[in-house]
Amino acid sequence: MKRRDYLRTVGVGVAGVAAAGCLQVENTGDGDATTSATGTESGTATRSGTTTKTTSADAGPLRVATYDSFFGDDGTAGQWLKDAWEADHDTTVEFTAPSNGVNEFVERKREGAAIDADLFVGINTGELVRVDDALADTALFDELAGEVAGSDTIKDDLRIDPEDRALPYDTGYISLVYDSTTVDEPQTFEALTSDEYEGALLAQNAQSSDPGRAFLLWTIHEYGPENYLDYWERLVGNDVRVLDDWQPSYDAFLNGERPMVVSYSTDQVYYNGEDQLPRHQVGFLNDQGYANPEAVARFADADNPDLAAEFVEFMLTDEAQRNVAVNNVQFPATTTAELPEEYGQYAYEPPEPVTFTYDELAGNVDAWTEAWARQVATN
Amino acid sequence: MAGSQRTTVAGRLSRAADRFALPLAGAGTLAVLLAVFYYPVGTVFVEALGPENPVWGVLTSEFYMGAAHGVFAHPLRVPGDVAAWLADVRVAAGWTGLLPEVRVVHPGFRKGLFGFTAYQAALSTVASVALGLPGAYVLARFEFPGRRTLQSLTILPFVLPSIMVVVGFVATFGQFGTVNDVLASLGLGRVQFLYTLEVVVLAHAFYNAPLVTRMVTTAWENVDASAVETARSLGASPLRAFRDVVAPQLLPALAASALLTFVFTFMSFPIVLALGGLQLATVEVWLFARINQLDYATAAGLATLETLISLALTYVYLRYEGSQSAEGTANPLDRHRLFDAAGLREWLVRSGIAVYGLLVAVVFVAPLASMVLASVGGLEDPTLRWWQFLAERQAGGRTQPATAVRYSIQFGIAALVVALPMGVVVGAFSARGGHGRKVVDAVLMAPIAVSGIVVGFGLLRSLVFGVDVGSYRVSLVGPIVVVFAHAVAGYPFVVRNVAPMLSAVDSRLVESARALGASRGRALWDIELPLVWPGVLAGAAFAFAISIGEFDSTVILADGNVYTMPVALKRFLVDRAAGPSTGPAAAMGTVLLAVTAASFVVIDRVGGRYRP
Repeated sequence: MKRRDYLRTVGVGVAGVAAAGCLQVENTGDGDATTSATGTESGTATRSGTTTKTTSADAGPLRVATYDSFFGDDGTAGQWLKDAWEADHDTTVEFTAPSNGVNEFVERKREGAAIDADLFVGINTGELVRVDDALADTALFDELAGEVAGSDTIKDDLRIDPEDRALPYDTGYISLVYDSTTVDEPQTFEALTSDEYEGALLAQNAQSSDPGRAFLLWTIHEYGPENYLDYWERLVGNDVRVLDDWQPSYDAFLNGERPMVVSYSTDQVYYNGEDQLPRHQVGFLNDQGYANPEAVARFADADNPDLAAEFVEFMLTDEAQRNVAVNNVQFPATTTAELPEEYGQYAYEPPEPVTFTYDELAGNVDAWTEAWARQVATN
Repeated sequence: MAGSQRTTVAGRLSRAADRFALPLAGAGTLAVLLAVFYYPVGTVFVEALGPENPVWGVLTSEFYMGAAHGVFAHPLRVPGDVAAWLADVRVAAGWTGLLPEVRVVHPGFRKGLFGFTAYQAALSTVASVALGLPGAYVLARFEFPGRRTLQSLTILPFVLPSIMVVVGFVATFGQFGTVNDVLASLGLGRVQFLYTLEVVVLAHAFYNAPLVTRMVTTAWENVDASAVETARSLGASPLRAFRDVVAPQLLPALAASALLTFVFTFMSFPIVLALGGLQLATVEVWLFARINQLDYATAAGLATLETLISLALTYVYLRYEGSQSAEGTANPLDRHRLFDAAGLREWLVRSGIAVYGLLVAVVFVAPLASMVLASVGGLEDPTLRWWQFLAERQAGGRTQPATAVRYSIQFGIAALVVALPMGVVVGAFSARGGHGRKVVDAVLMAPIAVSGIVVGFGLLRSLVFGVDVGSYRVSLVGPIVVVFAHAVAGYPFVVRNVAPMLSAVDSRLVESARALGASRGRALWDIELPLVWPGVLAGAAFAFAISIGEFDSTVILADGNVYTMPVALKRFLVDRAAGPSTGPAAAMGTVLLAVTAASFVVIDRVGGRYRP
């Protein structure tokens, strides 16, 4: 159904244009508008076992859409996965990072443009809810768990998708990071609203930042949808600042602007020098941390569905789990993987991880976030 | 025989080129605007016409419109509400001992998202003018070593990615920043600058005061010295001569730069949230959030209102610009020597300039310097590792600094080459066009009045995804399209620099040339352009600057292997190998700063030597 034959025309009438610009013309055939979610490509998987190394019917390359920092150079999770995979397989892995993440594919699906990717790496629960909301009649992703050996090793409390399309491959925990030379550990949500912590906390805009949204959801988890706005009223009254993204808030924290910032529980992996540790303490409010699993999902329109499933299977092996977690500064998603000792020494897991399930977020997360943002931005 | 025939053909060809050059350039400009601006943006704005009527939804929402929502939601109650509000206003008059004191206490009212956005934009415009105008005075009226270079560098802040400005501002104005360190060492105590409206306004001034400086300087340099001399010889005081002769020629440039500043800061987004927090949210914050949430109807509603406000202001400005007419010249005023003063008055002026210089050092130089300093780990912990990081990436990374520099310069020059003719043609139309041209002119300014988020999103939906033509899907992407997108974003600056000067050129000059048989294009090239060349040059610098700083459409239209300096900077910012440090980004920012600084100097020097 996705017959793609690009006629890269040599320019648009002007010779000079040909060199750099390109006008892509794609024959979409007649039935494109009715593209179904059943993964018709897999029906053509008849040429199996043509190579000695792979068992996949698909020729590749495997095209993986993800976010910008996941791949590219040595030391990224994506590069490790690519190198390890290609050492063992005949197919190659190609990463792309669309500027607006998974939304790009929602748009492509809506507009009938080609998906041009097999996997999406890095989707979280809220985004999956958004995708399903936006595409009620068609499916962007298809069911994956059944084709992936090892998907049963994923920790139960990280399973974000009741339909088994998105499989978590790692998780972070949102916590506070505080400078213990300036403030004591706040310990509870209530403490943050006390005089002691007035003007002490930097958070992020839940509309645009991952840790920001996770922190908001954490407060909703704690106070419930009825009362979280009251809590935030007190929090804002105590002069918490909600900046646009993690980077500026963390930069301000490093500059001593404020002694506490909403961040990740793996903070000390970067700051474990003797003089640094006191300034980089991880605080779990109410002994909790909000889990923010990152998942991988396969596009229903994937050209290489079998290869994609095989790659996800590889992502869930113990070795890949360990390396992805360390390179991504996160935690493994499976029960069987173990972290290197030195890394585990500085990466903390909360005594009680909490998170919202897909069903709890569905139909709610946008309204919760919007109501919260309107309350904070009282002009 | 054959030879003479050839000359006839060549002559006919050149006459044809003469006659059709201008219409062709105009048609080309329109085609480019349609393809990479109006059509893409239209695909977003059309959502505002949906059945939900999002524009009306925004207008009647108290959150978006504040107290003004009543005008739309329940117009009949407005007189009563206003009366009730006025009834609660208390005016207390007293006597302080020296002066009469009048205090007005009024009940608060919600500004709403739009009201607050306009409010902070107005404050930012005032601050930018206040900070930029003295700079124009110094650059236009004084001579000192390095003046030309300094003038070329004025628009540097314009190209800096907002995240780097934020890093620079935190390092300069933070609790433990440079300014507070100085205050503390003077025993004055530390001041909380960050997370206030004031620092957001200051950051906006950092971006936009240079725009005021550059545009007003250009106009000032174009003031006819002989007109001032005539006024003086007729007995006018220097102040009177300034008021009657110079000021009228500066006002259009001042108003144009103030307008551009307002429109820009009205659509400001990352910097407001990073230095002020969500408490100081602007319309653009919601626009981004709604698009991110795939709620296109509301986003389009917000974008429509935002753009209408900007375009309405542009239109008002253009009416004003049209009513101004002054004579331009290539006979500029003499400059005073800055370091050579005689008499009390001159000394006072120069000490004023010294105070201004200090202000410039704090607001402009300090944030830039702290970014450069951050690239070497600061003063306390100097290190070269971030530069080594850049070198490693250069040696074989996905994002190589030199490649980014090359693409940035290529895009910048190409965008400039496209934007200049576009801007001059539209500027000529703006200055001498026919009836109703002010409306058309305002619409042609739209690329500065539409939010970058909307433009990026529109480009994605139209050019990148493509449109169905029969059974084919046609999409238009790649570096050339990036160039056109950059040119479209930059050309309004050429127009607004050139048009006021073009309308100041004596129209009789053009008419005589036309009467002698010159085509409109020939008259523009031979007569008008040489007279307004400083404006063209200023416009060129802005077009280049816009291209260098552009981020969204570059990422959307080019594939991952084609990246510019800001794109590389952003990638280095999230590069895990460097940890959470902003060091690599600061190093890349320093490269960006150096490359663009050199480029601006070259543009001004080369352009200054070449005058058609």
